Amino acid sequence: MRKRYPLLAGVAAIAVLALSACAPEAPPAATSTSTAKAGTDTLNIATTTDVVNYNPLVGNSRSDYWVSNLMYPHLLSMNEDGDRIPEVATDWGYVDETTGFYEIRDDMKWSDGEPLTAEDVAYTLNATKKDKPAGTLYGQLANMDSAEAVSKTRVEMKLSKPDASIVEGIGFWGNIVPQHVFEKAGSVAEFANDGSDGGWVSAGPFVLTKVQVGQSYTMDRVEDYPIVKGGTPIPAKVVYRVYPDVNAEILALQSGAVDAIANALPPAQVEQLKNTAGIKVEESTGLGYAHMTYNMDNPDLAKVEVRQALAHAADYDAIRKVVLQGQAVSTGSSPLMEVHGDYYDKSIKEYDFDVDKSRSLMEKAGYTADANGNFPVSFRLIYSLQDSVTSQWVQLVKDSAAKAGITIELQGTERNTYLAMTNAGDYDIYAGNFAIMEDPVTNMVLSYLPGGAINYTHVDDPELNDLINTASTSADEKERVKLMREAAQIVHEKVYDNIMYSQQLYFAHSDKWTGFVSKPSELLSIVNPVSLASASKTAK
Amino acid sequence: MSIALFVLRRLGRGVFTIWFAVTVTFLLLRLLPGDPALAVASPNMTEETRAALLTQYGLDQPLIIQYFIYLGRLVTGDLGTSFTQSIPVVDVLLQRLPWTLVLTASALVLTVLLGIPLGVLAASRRGKAMDRFVQILGVTGQSLFVPSVGIALLLLFGLWLRWLPIGGAYDDAVYGVAWYGSVLQHLLLPALSLTLIQLGSYVLTVRATLIDALGDDYVTLAKANGLSPRRILWKHALRNALLPATTLIGLQLGFLVGGAVLTETVFAYPGIGRGIYEAVTQLDFPVLQGAFLLLAVTVVVANMLTDIVYGFLDPRVKTA
Repeated sequence: MRKRYPLLAGVAAIAVLALSACAPEAPPAATSTSTAKAGTDTLNIATTTDVVNYNPLVGNSRSDYWVSNLMYPHLLSMNEDGDRIPEVATDWGYVDETTGFYEIRDDMKWSDGEPLTAEDVAYTLNATKKDKPAGTLYGQLANMDSAEAVSKTRVEMKLSKPDASIVEGIGFWGNIVPQHVFEKAGSVAEFANDGSDGGWVSAGPFVLTKVQVGQSYTMDRVEDYPIVKGGTPIPAKVVYRVYPDVNAEILALQSGAVDAIANALPPAQVEQLKNTAGIKVEESTGLGYAHMTYNMDNPDLAKVEVRQALAHAADYDAIRKVVLQGQAVSTGSSPLMEVHGDYYDKSIKEYDFDVDKSRSLMEKAGYTADANGNFPVSFRLIYSLQDSVTSQWVQLVKDSAAKAGITIELQGTERNTYLAMTNAGDYDIYAGNFAIMEDPVTNMVLSYLPGGAINYTHVDDPELNDLINTASTSADEKERVKLMREAAQIVHEKVYDNIMYSQQLYFAHSDKWTGFVSKPSELLSIVNPVSLASASKTAK
Repeated sequence: MSIALFVLRRLGRGVFTIWFAVTVTFLLLRLLPGDPALAVASPNMTEETRAALLTQYGLDQPLIIQYFIYLGRLVTGDLGTSFTQSIPVVDVLLQRLPWTLVLTASALVLTVLLGIPLGVLAASRRGKAMDRFVQILGVTGQSLFVPSVGIALLLLFGLWLRWLPIGGAYDDAVYGVAWYGSVLQHLLLPALSLTLIQLGSYVLTVRATLIDALGDDYVTLAKANGLSPRRILWKHALRNALLPATTLIGLQLGFLVGGAVLTETVFAYPGIGRGIYEAVTQLDFPVLQGAFLLLAVTVVVANMLTDIVYGFLDPRVKTA
């Protein structure tokens, strides 16, 4: 056999040698530093993707966000009702129309002993503005000129024009990075922050200490984390384990290989896991919505009656019951959701599913149905094939539109093609969802102003523009609420957007762990820093 | 033709094949629909951010310039820097390569170790129940789908029986001999899954070529000379029958890598197949180019070695 298969023997030998190179060396014996309150347990969490980038100013994937969040704190967080709450900032607001400020805590430290000061905050904002990294924070800085640490605990930002959302937007989305580490790297847009020059530093509850690419990310407790009750995180370690296949991920939870799953459960798995012994399922409010937008560059879709006809030709209730298995709520077809508090307008009602009304609107728009009852229009609807939920409901939309005599051709593509087509406006109807639409004014600016990054309808309505522009510069919260409600009415009436539902999110963990603090959205959910720092093993 | 010339010709062909693969990969990636900046950044990014990203990635240059810059760097061993991870592509690949080598090599060895006896068993009992059984197994194996097999194996051995771990390549905090044991434990299911997928075609090839060989004149002569059926089967017929099967091993290496993408995904195995899948979703051109180059080199070298081994096994090849 040896004579006949030198190739096989060679391959096997190479494989064994390669493996030997991966064998880890035992670390030196650790000395325990756990305090009385802090435990010695390891919390294992499943995620579906690897960490792509350790630089929070660049990283964009969910795993990037979850791991970065445990090391690089935000100025603001969010409570379960969707309100902004303090994290590193204790107070925030505006000095005048073009100056924003944050007052920050004076008891925060990086894990290497350096204090976290207003200088770090100002550096983060100025470096991001200058180097334009690809992450979310840079998008929030459009109207910021510069930031300055006016004391150890106060940062002031000069704005290029009045912007009522910028202080909370930056506070919520921006991670603070350590100036003494990032500054040495030059451009923050190109800094990998991969720990290759002596590891990571953290001002969060945990610090990354070991990376096994494709397998796990181990984070050790930072003893001094004043944001959590008691001042010290309870788990000794948090380990993110990568299971790219969601079914394997759930099997891992059931077998005890992991204690929690970071990503939201697919709707079809929720009921089964709720009824599985040893598993607890937590509900969290969604901060986003699924929607369809009608491209007004298409002459047919430029007619409001056609858009209204399409809006009345979808059975929203059936979609929520069948596809979402009841795990979604109506927003009244409005971009303002209940989680937006005062902005939410109960008087805006969801488009009713009414095929006759839809037909009559098409006739009003000047179309005549043929002998088979079909109108001479056909619309191409794009969606991402990677989005399994949307892939299901677009089929229902197509079928119900056909009953109203409107032809919809479905064009599902892989995600990158879908994004490119969306960016190029290469569609009649766009179907998709936004994960987090937490600030009504910012959302309206991006979604409905001409040139807005996500203005997929290509709408340019002077009345709507005026309302949104006024709201975006108004410092008066009550006025902003009033203006946004009026704007939402217009969006609804003229169908500049068709919000299908807001999905409730469900997260699973082992009943051997308790104390998680659930927050809205998949990004925060039960894996936000305070939640993981507060989690402990149940006493049995 | 001398052995040296034979090997030199194979080497020349190999280098040409690799250059061709590199060029096709480079062009195909740029023909992909989508925008690397969109794949990396938030959809809310401004046109200015997009332009800055494309400049940073070198994608603002004309295609031909990009190609020659890439080739120039390649000959100096520089595979570039990952768009998304901002670290050298070589580092990205080296982190994952060993695991794919271990997985595919194990699957390859298992396939041969199981495939030859099963093929011999079927061919030596041609037309009988055992032959039919092996054929059914072979055809079934060819029609299996990696994720379904993977999840079924995980459910059975990982969740119900709890004999083997679910996911990963080894346990944390194990060192020395225990670490190798842990690696073996984690390797079993993905290797078995990959073996099951490709075993069918290998068994059927061994069976068919062995049946042909058993009908050759030299087998009749061997029988007439009184050699035992066992000796004829294993010593003479099988040796000739294994020539096409040896070629199949080289060809299957490419298939194995394709299968590894799905296997590594289902079993959360940290290999290069999964790295390729992730790089595709992020349109990380440098990582994809590096990974495909690596795969092309692996397949070309494996085929070259197969050719050379074939040359030794069958002297007619060298003079052809």
